[in-house]
Amino acid sequence: MTYHYLLIPKRPGTFPIDQISAVYNNKRYKGNRLELTVLKDGSTVSDKLSKRAVNVTGKTKDYFLEAIVDNKTPYVNEQITLTLKFYIASRYYGSPELTEPTTTGFWKEIIGNKTPYNQKINDRQYKIIERKYALFPTQTGELEIGRAMIRVTVPSKRQSRRGNNFFGGLFGNGEEVSIRSNIVKVKVKPLPTKGKPDDFTGTIGKFSIHASANKKVVEANQPVSVSIKISGRGNIKSIAEPKMPELDDQFRIYRASTSENISKSGSILGGTKLFEEVFIPKRPGDIEIPPIKYNYFDPSQKQYKYISTKAIKLKVIKPEGYTASGDIPFPAPDFKISSNARDIRYIKDDIGDTQPVNQLILASPIYIIVNAIPLFIFAGMIAVRVRREKFASDVGLARSRAALKEAKRRLTKAKSIAHTDSVSEFYVEVYTAVTSFIADKMNISPHGLTIERIKSLLADNNADTGLITQIEELLKHSDFARYASSSMTQDDINSDLEKAHNIMVAMSEVSFE
Amino acid sequence: MNKLTVFILISLLSITATVTADTSLFTEANKQYEQKDYSKAIELYTEILNTNIESAPLYFNLGNAYFKNGDLGHAILFYMKAKRLAPDDQAIRHNLEFAQRFSSVQMEGVELNPVTSFLASLVDTYNLTFLAWGSSIIFILFIITLILRLGMGYNNAMLRAGVVILLLLLMITSGLTTFKYRYEYLTKRAVIIAENAKVFTGASEQSDIELEGAPGLIVEILSESADFYNVLFENKRRGWIKKGLIAEF
Repeated sequence: MTYHYLLIPKRPGTFPIDQISAVYNNKRYKGNRLELTVLKDGSTVSDKLSKRAVNVTGKTKDYFLEAIVDNKTPYVNEQITLTLKFYIASRYYGSPELTEPTTTGFWKEIIGNKTPYNQKINDRQYKIIERKYALFPTQTGELEIGRAMIRVTVPSKRQSRRGNNFFGGLFGNGEEVSIRSNIVKVKVKPLPTKGKPDDFTGTIGKFSIHASANKKVVEANQPVSVSIKISGRGNIKSIAEPKMPELDDQFRIYRASTSENISKSGSILGGTKLFEEVFIPKRPGDIEIPPIKYNYFDPSQKQYKYISTKAIKLKVIKPEGYTASGDIPFPAPDFKISSNARDIRYIKDDIGDTQPVNQLILASPIYIIVNAIPLFIFAGMIAVRVRREKFASDVGLARSRAALKEAKRRLTKAKSIAHTDSVSEFYVEVYTAVTSFIADKMNISPHGLTIERIKSLLADNNADTGLITQIEELLKHSDFARYASSSMTQDDINSDLEKAHNIMVAMSEVSFE
Repeated sequence: MNKLTVFILISLLSITATVTADTSLFTEANKQYEQKDYSKAIELYTEILNTNIESAPLYFNLGNAYFKNGDLGHAILFYMKAKRLAPDDQAIRHNLEFAQRFSSVQMEGVELNPVTSFLASLVDTYNLTFLAWGSSIIFILFIITLILRLGMGYNNAMLRAGVVILLLLLMITSGLTTFKYRYEYLTKRAVIIAENAKVFTGASEQSDIELEGAPGLIVEILSESADFYNVLFENKRRGWIKKGLIAEF
């Protein structure tokens, strides 16, 4: 929970603000004491700053850019904070454009911009834009932080003197000005040699170290992952890997991975670097990963510090049924005890089942065919069944389908008796074939189907008029021939058979409803 | 119908007969291996591969030759290929696991999605061909019951139950087959084959180094950009690596 108080000082001076206390769960919590300095009106800032705000002629500047570092004599790799402050008392157009200062000899990380705020200097109200950088010197000696530059468009002086130029004032016949900061010189000190550990890691800042294992109970020859976390303030990227203790008789150790997480606390850079190491215990028993030692230089206390992790106790179980041997005393469960136990299994003599490279079974034709066949059979069976059911329910369709077959049968019979001895039988067959074909097609009774009715039915079904005439002629001729059989020659019979056949072919193309 | 049958028979025969390997080359390669001329053995095994023929023992032997020759990356690459063809072969599994221990970088803290790892364990010892034919057989049985039921109109309790059971079995087997296919074939995996394989945070050598890979590490290829692959390591870290440093399997 946060409470905000707004204090308005009534007179200049230094005032203490007492500790604030709160009671929670029968416990009293106390805050810290504060001291507040109230300056006299008009003297809101340090002398140095008010001097910088005045130019050589003694007039206040409209804008200036200041570069400050918090520590001009850092140790190598110790963080210093560079603050760029852009003071502007006049109006400006667009957003100021910054050219970053050169920082040769430093590792630079931008901390970011502060929300612009206002400050009164020499009775003038300035807007201040602030940007901070964390710098880590990478070498000793005198280093220089170059000038930063800001380009900003301000209202043109000449125009504003001309007075009420409304448009000029509004639409910024402004001029672009470049404002440069001062150069900052930093003297980087080397680390003191006094008390420097032989195995100094080169890490500078203030850190803590912590180790944890992903499991406490493990089988021999199975890996345990140990995370070593170094966290605190300083240049995280330059943190060196902790040296693993000599444990050849107990573990095999592999470096797994490292990761970094950089964070900012105010303008102080810090974070966490995580080293993951894999420990593979060689033999069973209660064994211990001893404390992992680390050291760093603390610039605030000007001395070297030693830190270490806590020892991690491991219970290493003996895997069942295996005995120690050479390099790998306890083979993993898959290892068989044989002459090959410490080596890869031997090559195979037989090339085995071969196949084309990268042949995918799912895309092979045989697989697709085998799976498609039953599907086709199934689809076929369903189609047959559906058709059968449709026939069963539709006699008309069945008759229509069977019509041509029936007619052909009759014509074949007619053909077999197509000679002058059985003229009348032949013509009866021809006549019946044609009339019953039409009757079947239309699903009506063949009895009482006269030539006239056939003509009108065919006309209704849009049959070709030529065809209708042919049918009429054939039927009339057949009728006549039945009673005048003696006048028919073999040629007549043959030509009539031919005609009947053609009619059938033509008729089957007429669609009947 | 007769034409179709003939066509099927011909295609069946032609497919089963396509691959007859040149075993003399294989025998020769094995001989070189026995005489510890591993480079020559690698050359000969690769020659067989170049004739567009693969088999689990071929990949296995090639992996062994690479391992003996000190090329961990290629050894693991070919063991992985062998394992995909013959997942239940103990020798392949053993050598793969053995070789992976030699990788100077070990991936720890690997947590797979529990559903994925459950499904993977179900299909672990079967290869895709086996699963595919298994689902095929169930599919055919299912269609036969459907033909009896719908095509020919048989209707009794046993047949109805059979349809339901076979449908369920079909869904399970085809689901597992699909999973296997996606997991082992559709997902692009690769092995780091080069020493000092730097993995960058971006697709350029000017980017920061995310981590340093080592031969034998298995990665999943997510995407590519110019000369780089975006890869995902087993411990879920990802980054960009130059294409030549890894080999797909």
